Amino acid sequence: MSAKIDIEFTVNGAVKQVTVPATASALDMLRDQLDLKGAKEACGEGECGACTVIVDGVSVCSCLSYAVDFDGRKIETIEGVQSDEGLDPIQQAFVDYGAVQCGYCTPGMVMQVKHTLDKNPNPTKEEIQRGLEGNVCRCTGYSKIIDAVTEVASS
Amino acid sequence: MNTVENYIAPGSIEEAAAALAAGPVTIVAGGTDLMLQTGSGAIAYAKTLMNVRRIAEMQGVSIDGDTIRIGALTTITELKSDAIIAEHLPVVAEMADKFASDQIRNASTIGGNICNASPAGDGIVPLMMYGADVVLASAKGNRNVALSEFFTGPGKTVKADNELLVAIEIAKPAAGFKGGFGKFGPRPALEIAMASVALGGVVKDGVISNVSVAFGAVGPTPMMGAKTTALLEGKTLNEETISAAGEAASEEVTPIDDVRASAWYRRHLIRVMTEEILNDVG
Amino acid sequence: MDQIVEKPDTLIGAAFPKPDAPDKVVGKTTYINDMVLPRMLVAKIKRTDRVHAKILSVDISEAEKVPGIVAIATAENSPKGLIGVLKDNPPLKGDKVRCIRDEIAGVAGETEEAVNRALELIKVEYEDLPTVFDPEEALKEGAPLIHEDKPGNIGLTFDFEHGDVKKAEAESDVVLEEKYELHYVTHTCMGPGCVIADFDTHGKLTIYTQTQYPYNYKMDLAPALDIPAGDIRVIQPPTGGAFGSKLDVYPFEPIAVYLAKIARRPVKLFFSREEEFIASPTRQPARVYIKQGAKKDGTITFRDVQVYLNNGGYTSWGATIPAVMMRTMTGHFRIPNVEFHSVAPYTNNPFAGSFRGYGNVQATYVTATLMDKMAEELGMDPIEFRLKNAQEPGERTPQNSLLKNAALADCIKISAEKTDFLKKHAEYTEARKTPGRIRQGIGIATSVHNAGGAKIHKSDGCGTILTMDDYGRATVITGASEIGQGIDAVITQLVSEELGIPPSDVLIANDDSAIGPWDVGVHASRTTFIAGNSARNAAVKAKQQILAAAARQSNVSADKLELRGGHVVQKDNGVSVTKLDRLIRAMHFAGEDAELVMVSEYYEPPSELEDKNHVGDISAAYAHGAYITELEVDTLTGGVKLHKITAVQDVGKVINKLGIEGQMEGGIAQGIGYGLSEELIIEEGIVKNPNFRDYKVVTAPEMPEIECHFIEDDEETGPFGAKGISELPCIIPGASIANAVYNAIGVRFDNPPITPEKIVRALHGGKAEAAE
Repeated sequence: MSAKIDIEFTVNGAVKQVTVPATASALDMLRDQLDLKGAKEACGEGECGACTVIVDGVSVCSCLSYAVDFDGRKIETIEGVQSDEGLDPIQQAFVDYGAVQCGYCTPGMVMQVKHTLDKNPNPTKEEIQRGLEGNVCRCTGYSKIIDAVTEVASS
Repeated sequence: MNTVENYIAPGSIEEAAAALAAGPVTIVAGGTDLMLQTGSGAIAYAKTLMNVRRIAEMQGVSIDGDTIRIGALTTITELKSDAIIAEHLPVVAEMADKFASDQIRNASTIGGNICNASPAGDGIVPLMMYGADVVLASAKGNRNVALSEFFTGPGKTVKADNELLVAIEIAKPAAGFKGGFGKFGPRPALEIAMASVALGGVVKDGVISNVSVAFGAVGPTPMMGAKTTALLEGKTLNEETISAAGEAASEEVTPIDDVRASAWYRRHLIRVMTEEILNDVG
Repeated sequence: MDQIVEKPDTLIGAAFPKPDAPDKVVGKTTYINDMVLPRMLVAKIKRTDRVHAKILSVDISEAEKVPGIVAIATAENSPKGLIGVLKDNPPLKGDKVRCIRDEIAGVAGETEEAVNRALELIKVEYEDLPTVFDPEEALKEGAPLIHEDKPGNIGLTFDFEHGDVKKAEAESDVVLEEKYELHYVTHTCMGPGCVIADFDTHGKLTIYTQTQYPYNYKMDLAPALDIPAGDIRVIQPPTGGAFGSKLDVYPFEPIAVYLAKIARRPVKLFFSREEEFIASPTRQPARVYIKQGAKKDGTITFRDVQVYLNNGGYTSWGATIPAVMMRTMTGHFRIPNVEFHSVAPYTNNPFAGSFRGYGNVQATYVTATLMDKMAEELGMDPIEFRLKNAQEPGERTPQNSLLKNAALADCIKISAEKTDFLKKHAEYTEARKTPGRIRQGIGIATSVHNAGGAKIHKSDGCGTILTMDDYGRATVITGASEIGQGIDAVITQLVSEELGIPPSDVLIANDDSAIGPWDVGVHASRTTFIAGNSARNAAVKAKQQILAAAARQSNVSADKLELRGGHVVQKDNGVSVTKLDRLIRAMHFAGEDAELVMVSEYYEPPSELEDKNHVGDISAAYAHGAYITELEVDTLTGGVKLHKITAVQDVGKVINKLGIEGQMEGGIAQGIGYGLSEELIIEEGIVKNPNFRDYKVVTAPEMPEIECHFIEDDEETGPFGAKGISELPCIIPGASIANAVYNAIGVRFDNPPITPEKIVRALHGGKAEAAE
C-alpha cells in the first residue's frame, strides 16, 4: 500500500480533509472517500470526459489527476452546480432540450459546458463543439447537447 | 501497481533538485501521462513520488532580451492563449489548439509533454522547429540541451535521473519568420498524430531562408528535417521547390506501420502537410 | 356553480422531457456502477492471453494467499452449465480457450488492489493449438476445430429461396457481382460492464444487472447456475447505455454469481474500458458475395446472396443476424427472384452479439451501395432506379412481410426534393472531370425495418399493471426496460393522455422482475410500439372502470363522460362531474362494493413467427427511411467532412418530439461511425485498439447538421398511430456516406469504414497529387 497523505481542499464550497494514497486518482478519491459519485469513470484514460471536474477554475479529467494534488485547491463537481433556487440554467437546458439519454456522460458534459461558458459566454456553434471535443456521448449524437448549450449562451 | 513510500511537493527547484540527488524519484506535473502509464504498468513508480506542480519558478512564459523562457509547468491551454507565444512563437499556439482535448490541455504541462518523449508528442515538434533548448536542473547546477538532441528513443531522453526539466528556452525567431504546424486526424483535436510537421522560415522577395523543419510520429523520436531544410534554404519558393521539399520530407522521415496508419500513408501526409505549410508561408 | 375543465393541449407529439433527466443532470442518479451494498466484495476476471490453446493447469494457490481475497472461482469449483444462443460457452473455461476474451477465473476480494494482485498471481499453463481466423478458411477441410462437437466448424446456417434465380439471371440485361467485407464495430456504452450478485439465506439470487431483457435473462442465466430460473430476481438499476449489447447472458454475469455463492456476500464484478473493448460483444462482421440483375428498363430481376459470418469462438446473437439481413436482402425493393444463404463458421476471433440495427446495418450497406452501382450501370439516376423498384402500399415481400402503408417512394421523393439531390448529384459527378483538391458529394441510401415488434420468440408481448392511488396518481408497472432511450417518457405521455392527469402524476416502475410483468426486452425497435400499446390499453381499461363508477355516481352515462385535467367531465361541455381523486377514494371506501382501480394488460402484436423456410409476417408494421448525406472529401489527406444528413423516415406518428429526434440523431452518429471511423481492429484474434484513442467514435465537432423529416401516416395498430423508429437511423447513414463519397471521388469502398488512408490509397496509390 502506497504512502498515505493528508490533504485539505475545498469542494463545492466546503472544506474537506482526506487521507489518500499518494498514487490515488482524484476521481477515486471523490467517488470512494467523499461519496461524490456524480463524476463517472467511463474510460480512466482521459479520452471521454465523463469524470470532468473543475479545479481552480479549469476543467480537467479527474481520472488522470492525482488526488494529492488537490491539496489546497478549490474543486467544483456536478453535485455543487445546482443552487438553492433549483437547477443551474445549463442543467435546465439539458432537461428541456432532450440532451440526456442514458445520462452517464451527462455530469462530465455539464461540467465541461460550465467551464466552456465561463471562459466564453458567447460561443459560436463551432466553439461549442470544440469545447466538447473531449466528452464522448454515445446516445445523443451531440445535437441536442449543442442545442441546449446554444440556448444557455443566448439567454 | 507498485507502491510509493514517500510523497513530496517541493516549493522550489532547489528543494526538488535535492530530493532528486537523494535517490530515485518519480516526477509528476500535470499527471495526464503518468497516471495512464503507471495504470497500464508501462511505468513503475520509484519509492518517492515528487509533485513539482507547486514550484513557482517553473511556471509561466517570460521574455528576457532575445530569449523566450517557457516554464516547464506552463499548460497547453496557457500556451494557446499566451500573448508572448502568440507574438513570437505562433506555431506553438497553433499546435496547442490541436492538442488532445480542452480538459487535457488544461492539465498537461509542456515540460511533461517533452519528458514523456512520445514520438508523436505534439508539443515537441514546433519547439524543435524553433530551435528550443531545454533547461535541466540538478543539485550540481543547470545545463541546457538542444531539444533536437534531447531524445534517444520512445520514452527515452538524455535527462539524468537526478535532473529536472525546469524550462524551455528559445531564441527569438528572426524578423519576418513565419511558419505553420500540420497534424492530421479525422477530428479537429483529440487525436494522437498520425504524422505532424512544424516548418518555418523567412520569406523575402520570394526566397526562403532561416528554414527549420521538424516532424513527429514518423520515427522513434520527433526529428529535425535536415534534408528538407537543406533543400529549401535560399531557394525561391515556387511550385517546383515546394514539390521537391514535399518529396524530400516524405523521403527523410522513417515512419512505421501501426494501428493508426501505415508508413506509406504517414509519408504521404508528411508530404501533403509540408507542401501545405510552404504554400501558406510563401 | 359548475366547474368547467378546459381540454389541455395534447401531449402526443409534444417535446416532453424525460422524467429521469433532472436526476441525471445533477449527478444524483445511482447507476449500477455507483452501487455499494453492505459487505459487498469487488471482483474481476482473469482472462487468457491465448486465442486457441489447451489449458493444462490453473494454479490459484498463490492468489488465494493475498490478504483480502475472499473467493476464487474456476471451472473446477463452479457449475458446469453453458450459456449462449447455442449453449456452447462455459462461463469459466476448463479444457481450452478459443478466443482472446476467454475467462479462466473470477476473483473476489475486499479491495480492487487485492483483486488485481491476485489476478497477477494466477498461473495458467497452456498448450497452444493451431488457429483459424477467417470464416472461409474455417470451413475448409483440415481447418483447426474450434469446438470438438461442431464438425466442420459450422455454427448457424440460414437459407432462403424464392422464385428461380438461375432463370432470372439468364434473362437479365445487366448483372453485377460484388464482394463486401463488413467490419467489426462495438457498442462502447459509456457505462462499462457491471453486475452485482447477492444470495439471500434461502439460496435465492438477486442479480443487479444492465440487461435489456430481464425476463428471458432469467431463463438464459439459470442453466449456468444450477438454480431454477424462478429463484432469480433481476433488478435493473440505471445503466450507461446498451444498444443491443445486453441482450444475452455473458460469462461475467454467472462468474459474479459463482463468487457470491462461494463468498456468501454480495459481489460486484466490473469491466475496465479496455475489457469493455475486448470482452463485450461486437457487431457481427460479414463477408457478403452478392449478385443482382436487372432489365434494361431498370426492373430488378434477382438477387443471389452468400454470406460468411465470422462466428468467433462462441455463439451469441451475432450469428443470428441473417434473420434480419435477409428481410432487407430479399424484401427491400421488389425482388422477384432471390436466394440467400449464410453460414457462421467458428473461428478464434472474439464473438459478436446484437447491436442496434441487427444485421440490417450490414445488409443496407451492401444493398444501398449496390443499388447505386446498378443505377450507374443502367445509365439511370439513383432516384429513378429506386423509384422504379419501390414497392407500393399493400405489397408483400418474398418472406411475406406485408408492407401495408409502404412509404418507400415517398421517402425517396421527399428526401431528393429537400436536398435538390439530382442537380447536385449530376453537378458533383461532372466536377470530377476537372482538377481540384476538395470534392463535394451527395449520396442516398434507403432501408426497411420492422416497426411493429419482431416476433422472434413465441410471444412478442409486453405486460402492464396499472394502479391508481387514493390521490389520483397512476403507477404504471411495465415490463419494458428503460436503458436511456426514453420509454418512461413515452409511457408517461400515453397514460397521462388517456387518464387526463398531468404527467407528473404518473410514476413508472420497471426495474424489478419480481414486480414487473413479462416483456421480451428492449430490441428490434419494438418498445414504443409494443410497450406503448400495452400501457395505453391498460390506461383505457382503467379509464373504463373509472367512468363506469362515475356514471353510477352521477347518473350520466359513461359514454358521455371523459377524463380531463384530474376530473371526470361531461364530454360535451367540460363540466366537472367529480374530481378524479375524490371518485377513486369513493370507489375504494365503498363498503361491500369497494374496488381499487387496478388493471392489467398483456399486449401481443398481430404478427406471426417465421416458418422453417423463413416465411412469415413477423411484424405488425414495417417502416422505410431514405437518408441523404452531403459531404466533402479532401483528396490529398483523405479527410471526409460531413455537411448535412437529411433523414426522411416513416414513423407512423411522433409521440415524443424530443425523444424521436434524440433517437434519430444518436442513431445517425453511430451510423456515421460505422461508415467512416469506427473499427475494432482484430489481427490474429487480438484486439489491437481497445481504447477511445484508436477506436474512433464520433465526437461533437464531427457532427454534421441533421434535418429530420417524419412521415406520419398513422399506423393503425400503433399507439396513437406510432411505429418503432430507433434502428433505421443507425442502419442507413453508412451506406449514404459511401454513396456520397463515390459521388465526390468516383471510388467505391466495399470495406467500411471509409478511412482517410483508404481514400488516399485508392486515389493516389503511391503518389501524393491532387485528384485529376
